[in-house]
Amino acid sequence: MTVIRGSGTGLRATVAVVLFATVAWAAAGCGSGTEDASSGSGDGTQQPVSVYIGRHYGIEPVFEEFTKATGIPVVFTTGKDAELRERIKVEGPNTQADVYLAADAGNLQLAADDGLLASVDSPVLTGAVPERVRAADGSWYALSLRNRTIITSADRVADTDVPTGYEALGDPRWKGRLCLRPSTSAYTQSLVSSLIADRGEDGARAVVDGWVANEPTYIDSDEDMIEAVVAGQCDVAVINHYYLPRTVAEAGPIPVRLTWPTDPPGVHQNISGAGVTANAANPEGARRLIEWLATDGQRSFADVNYEFPANQTVPPRDELVAFGPYTVDSVAVREFGPLQAQAVRLLDEAGYQ
Amino acid sequence: MAVVLGVTAVVVLVPLVALLSSLLQPSIDVWSHLWSTRLPGMLVTTTVLVVGVTVGAAVLGTALAWLVAAHRFPGRGLLVWLLALPLAVPAYVSGFVWLDTFDEAGPVGQWWTGVAGADSWYPTVRSLPWAALVLTLALYPYVYLLALAAFRDLPAGQWETARVLSGSRWRAFREVALPAARGSVIAGSVLVALEVLTDVGTVRLFNVQTVADGVFRVWFGLADREAATELAGLLLLAAVAVLLAERRLAARRREATGGRDAARIEPEAIHGRGAVAVGGAVAVVLVALVFPVGRLVAWTVEAVRRGTTASAAGGIDHHLWSSLVVTGWTVLACVVVGVAVAVAARWGRGRRHRALAGATTLGYGLPGPVIALGVLVVLAAIDRTGWLPRGTLLVGSLVGLVLALVVRYLALAVKPAEQAVGRVGRSTEDAARALGAGPAGVVGRVQLPLAVQGLAVAGALVALDVVKELPATLLLRPFGVDTLPVWVWEASSDSRWVEAGPPALVLVALAAIPTALLLRLMVRGRRVDW
Repeated sequence: MTVIRGSGTGLRATVAVVLFATVAWAAAGCGSGTEDASSGSGDGTQQPVSVYIGRHYGIEPVFEEFTKATGIPVVFTTGKDAELRERIKVEGPNTQADVYLAADAGNLQLAADDGLLASVDSPVLTGAVPERVRAADGSWYALSLRNRTIITSADRVADTDVPTGYEALGDPRWKGRLCLRPSTSAYTQSLVSSLIADRGEDGARAVVDGWVANEPTYIDSDEDMIEAVVAGQCDVAVINHYYLPRTVAEAGPIPVRLTWPTDPPGVHQNISGAGVTANAANPEGARRLIEWLATDGQRSFADVNYEFPANQTVPPRDELVAFGPYTVDSVAVREFGPLQAQAVRLLDEAGYQ
Repeated sequence: MAVVLGVTAVVVLVPLVALLSSLLQPSIDVWSHLWSTRLPGMLVTTTVLVVGVTVGAAVLGTALAWLVAAHRFPGRGLLVWLLALPLAVPAYVSGFVWLDTFDEAGPVGQWWTGVAGADSWYPTVRSLPWAALVLTLALYPYVYLLALAAFRDLPAGQWETARVLSGSRWRAFREVALPAARGSVIAGSVLVALEVLTDVGTVRLFNVQTVADGVFRVWFGLADREAATELAGLLLLAAVAVLLAERRLAARRREATGGRDAARIEPEAIHGRGAVAVGGAVAVVLVALVFPVGRLVAWTVEAVRRGTTASAAGGIDHHLWSSLVVTGWTVLACVVVGVAVAVAARWGRGRRHRALAGATTLGYGLPGPVIALGVLVVLAAIDRTGWLPRGTLLVGSLVGLVLALVVRYLALAVKPAEQAVGRVGRSTEDAARALGAGPAGVVGRVQLPLAVQGLAVAGALVALDVVKELPATLLLRPFGVDTLPVWVWEASSDSRWVEAGPPALVLVALAAIPTALLLRLMVRGRRVDW
């Protein structure tokens, strides 16, 4: 390569830097415009509701539907449940969130414990959302339900061999055939929290020890675990139920069987839910959004992700009905949130990855 | 001038101190739990990963730079560019491409089990060696770029003499070329080491439990922010150790002393075994660039076919615009502050000034989310004082986000800026002052124009990292600002790889711009290290 020296490069570099800066400058001027654009779907007369949301798939059309129905615009920012909770906590009285919408009961209850959520007394919500899946003081309400359940290979596991519960996954016959989500996943943490709530710490430890003894393959994605079962990397795995119908809808039928745990106390269920923040600038709009999501918006909110509606008067999608009835672990969802740290310690001690 | 340094140091250090103050009251309980469970493993894993990737990147980067700097072969001009471009592919993106392709359930694993039988052995892709491989391929260009500049500046006279006297190209390389590039290789390697030390996205993909990963296990798993930041303090210590080691090593550095106008070494035609080396370099380009980008293109095509080319927040234009805004402002801020720090440090020249200048770069030693939280805590405290005009908040503003990114990445701008400023001889400065120019005049009319190239390097380095940045942006961004990495994360955290294709591809294209600028500055202009 010929080496060209001199000030030419310097000049071009300057131009590049200046250009970049100019673009940024112009962009900043339009920054407020961007915000208006994302909230501009309403009629402009109502104060928008701001949502910090830990669930990000297919949520925009749902909010648009709400705006169409009520005239209240929605602005939202996505993120991780725990980080958004931390942001609300740190923002304190100045929080920009009117609604905290999380995909995990543990984080909702932790937010409530920290006083970040306002207690909402709403006949609409108490009527729509079962007592088991809302906070005792009305600080948060479930909007959809999801089951952590067992899938098996339809090719390599006989119908009669299908594990009947979480404990059965520790049976030595699954050694080297089991796929599980690592302990960093909120799904694993909440499952083990509910085991502790049901069986006490020692009982839960025995279950986890059984899993670890089977030398599971740890895969940090429910979707990838389905693929792993199809591909023969494992024969049994634990996933959130909605990933299977979603995969089937995208890729067609696959030789994977979904079964609900039947051993008492039944299926571990977690929720997506929401609460009005304690320092909401628009608490009235926030309450209306949550009420709408729990009633008229239930279908759209739950269906887009193949989840069960929290509102029992709204039937689930046909694909979910086809999985058959199930018995749900009766421990209230709010009970296992505070057990999360204990569950993580237990997992650490058990040598669960 | 000390005031400039002091203020900058305070701005950078306050968020760190706000978090690390909990070190004074250590969470004994969490530490003892960690010590009896994951901590020993984390320390070993982190050490192996950081050392492995750093050494791997240093060797690969230096070898490739020497190949293209000192040899002549068809396609060399193109290869010089292609070897730098893997820097534009974030490791968390190439990481999920590798996983999706090579995992047992992926096409390669399926092919293998088809050929060798379902029960045949297959390597575990979610493991440390693969993470190390992916990180090495993503980060070696930092070393490559600097080594390339160093080899380019190698005086032909020295090289020829060494060749003739030692009688072997290899010995001459070891005894003359390598020592000349030593400082550059070390500087590039330090950057690699710090990037690996603070990485949280890639290691998580590969189930590799590093200390940085542990910070988030404690923060979100045990819901213990104090203990998590104490663990982050460990990372900061490691980062300081790396920087001190660099200073020691660089102190012994032997510079090529050819001066600006010395003749460059004449590239030699390649023959015989050399062709194998060219083949190796081509293989690196295929594996580190063509393969991940090709997969992203395939996903993008599929996403277009399915009609899923928008996120919840908007389409490509919205995200591209957000990325440009955030990156543009952060680059501008980093370069301006970097110059201020460099000039102040130069003007003062005391030990205290150097220490303060060093302190402004500490943010680079912590993972993004930790910095983001520190900045969040401080900004929220300011918001609550009521000093700001009514209705104005720092949290959730562009200013807050840019501030966090400056705290994190200022280090990248300070070092090139120091060199840019340092390039101006003391005599030039004295002459300018003798002619009546005040400090401002010296900076504006004399030093800055001479230093533009250093500033371009600073800006490009910062842009390269900021454009790929996820965690701080995710936590601190205002409503309506959603960068490309945010979209990639939204899709990939839900395993929607196909939908992650379009934003990831645009992100790579965008990151290629500062990469290309860096390469250009390295091979063409005067030398700037970082």
